[in-house]
Amino acid sequence: MTRLVLVDDHALVRAGVRAELENDFSIVGEAGDVPEAIDVIAREKPDVVVCDVHLPSGTAANVIAGCVERGVTTVFLALSVSDAAEDVIEVIRSGARGYITKATDGAELVDAVRRVSTGDAVFSPRLAGFVLDAFSTELTAPTADPELDQLTAREQEVMRLLARGYAYKEIARRLTISIKTVESHASAVLRKLQLSNRNELTRWAADRRIL
Amino acid sequence: MQSSLPQAKWQLPRIDRTDRWIGGAASGIARELGVQPLVIRVAFAALTLVVGWGLVLYVLAWAALTVLSPEQISPYSPTPKGATAVHRHVGIAVVVLGLILLLAQLAPSSITSFTWPIGFILAGALIAWSRSDADSDGISIVVRIVAGLSVALGGILVFALSSVSITEVVVGLVFGLAVIAGVTVIAAPSVVQMARSLDGERMDRIRIDERNRISAHLHDSVLQTLSLIQRNAEDPVRTGQLARQQERELRNWLYGPTTTEPDGIHLGPALEKAASEVEEMHGVQINVVAVGDTGAAVHGDISRLIAATREAMTNAAVHSGESQIDVFVERGAHAIDIFVRDTGEGFDVDEISADRRGVAESIIGRMDRAGGLATIHSSPGNGTEIELHLPITPTPPSVGAERTSPITSEPSP
Repeated sequence: MTRLVLVDDHALVRAGVRAELENDFSIVGEAGDVPEAIDVIAREKPDVVVCDVHLPSGTAANVIAGCVERGVTTVFLALSVSDAAEDVIEVIRSGARGYITKATDGAELVDAVRRVSTGDAVFSPRLAGFVLDAFSTELTAPTADPELDQLTAREQEVMRLLARGYAYKEIARRLTISIKTVESHASAVLRKLQLSNRNELTRWAADRRIL
Repeated sequence: MQSSLPQAKWQLPRIDRTDRWIGGAASGIARELGVQPLVIRVAFAALTLVVGWGLVLYVLAWAALTVLSPEQISPYSPTPKGATAVHRHVGIAVVVLGLILLLAQLAPSSITSFTWPIGFILAGALIAWSRSDADSDGISIVVRIVAGLSVALGGILVFALSSVSITEVVVGLVFGLAVIAGVTVIAAPSVVQMARSLDGERMDRIRIDERNRISAHLHDSVLQTLSLIQRNAEDPVRTGQLARQQERELRNWLYGPTTTEPDGIHLGPALEKAASEVEEMHGVQINVVAVGDTGAAVHGDISRLIAATREAMTNAAVHSGESQIDVFVERGAHAIDIFVRDTGEGFDVDEISADRRGVAESIIGRMDRAGGLATIHSSPGNGTEIELHLPITPTPPSVGAERTSPITSEPSP
């Protein structure tokens, strides 16, 4: 069974998330701030960490960085009330495999955890829209690695369908490709978002106030 | 200049409570005259020196004038209301005369034969240098200079005719300059200090105003919604709806366009508004995702597009049986594409009965008239997607070409 750690500074939220997830996964630890989270994750070595973006002593990005420093490899799913561009981009770029908002309902949350645990990327429609905006071809940014800083036509198509609210299997049917292919496109997009050399990506997104 | 009072008419000055040193009478008069309040204050102070007349006048003014109501207070604008050049010149003459009389009052011995000529020269210079509004009052600058010069020449003539030696004049000038310099040195620090503290006060007032504005908004919106949510805690659908509606409103208030430009509807906010209205009416959740510069005004008429989208959302809310609807908006350089999608029952597109006016007229017909295209993808059991496509004229470069949408529209799959 997939082992989870929950990180959120509000005990109530943790309890809520735990209630949604404990039927399908085994929850091996909880934490309320950054150092505690790093300790728990290093000790338990869970498969997936469901992590709130804003913590009392930092952000989810700090937790991810701390875990990388301690040599712990695990998968992060960011969970936040805010889907403001600055938050999304920071967490995704530091290595989270997915980003969902607290408005997500139970079934979707379970599905998202399951998908990141298998190495898949989780995009909410809003995140997909944001990615489309961030990788816009008309934006003339000095690119160090043009291959990373552009989405292929297919990837763009997958992102547009995600932004339109399609599930992976619907996209697969619509584009007549396999779900595995859709997943690999999504993972490629996530990788580009994480590795892309656009330094101004964050600033630009913040300027545009993309929601 | 934003005054709500008619600009060109003289009115009885009203006391300005917000900008006062003592009672606000001076700033009220200054507001009406269109000069800096400091000028009037100095005038009152100077008049006080003349057997206390300033004090008497001030108290009279303060007692007689009504208080300016807060909504009439506008930023200070130094525009003399209804004053013409003649008014101004008479004013200058009166001021000069007043100064000389004041001098006579304070130090009768200083009124020597050279005071008058110097007064004339000063008055002439003031007339010549006073701001030229030739086109507004019809007195050309030449006339002004001639008038100034003749007054000054008259002064010199009087000076020449009187039996005053040059040394006396120089001594008088040096004496005057020394007095002015001394007063400046003594008064400067306190004047600067005063100006600073006034500035500080003004900043504080602005800050307090801003704070009040924000708390008023939060009170009207967030607090009201929170109390509504508390009352509806038993009803999760209603609670969620209230929260979403409030979130949307707050987001828009925080991040939305700060100015309402008259040159068009803003696509993003307009759709958010339509979505929240449909949400509220039908108890569904609508997730609006916007790509491209949807915050900027669209060049051209998109009201039909908004109306069609709204109808599509309503259609999905009423007929799909699904509680969640996805709306995706993409603003390209040449077209706007909107997709309204639900994962509900769906229907056979070919079998839309003729009485389904909603789809036929409100969506397809409307898009047709707007010069766009509406396509409906649906089949029983597979949900519905309504696709709206509207070509737009590219935004003029002056509005910021680099901010137009990133993604060129491509044929939809």
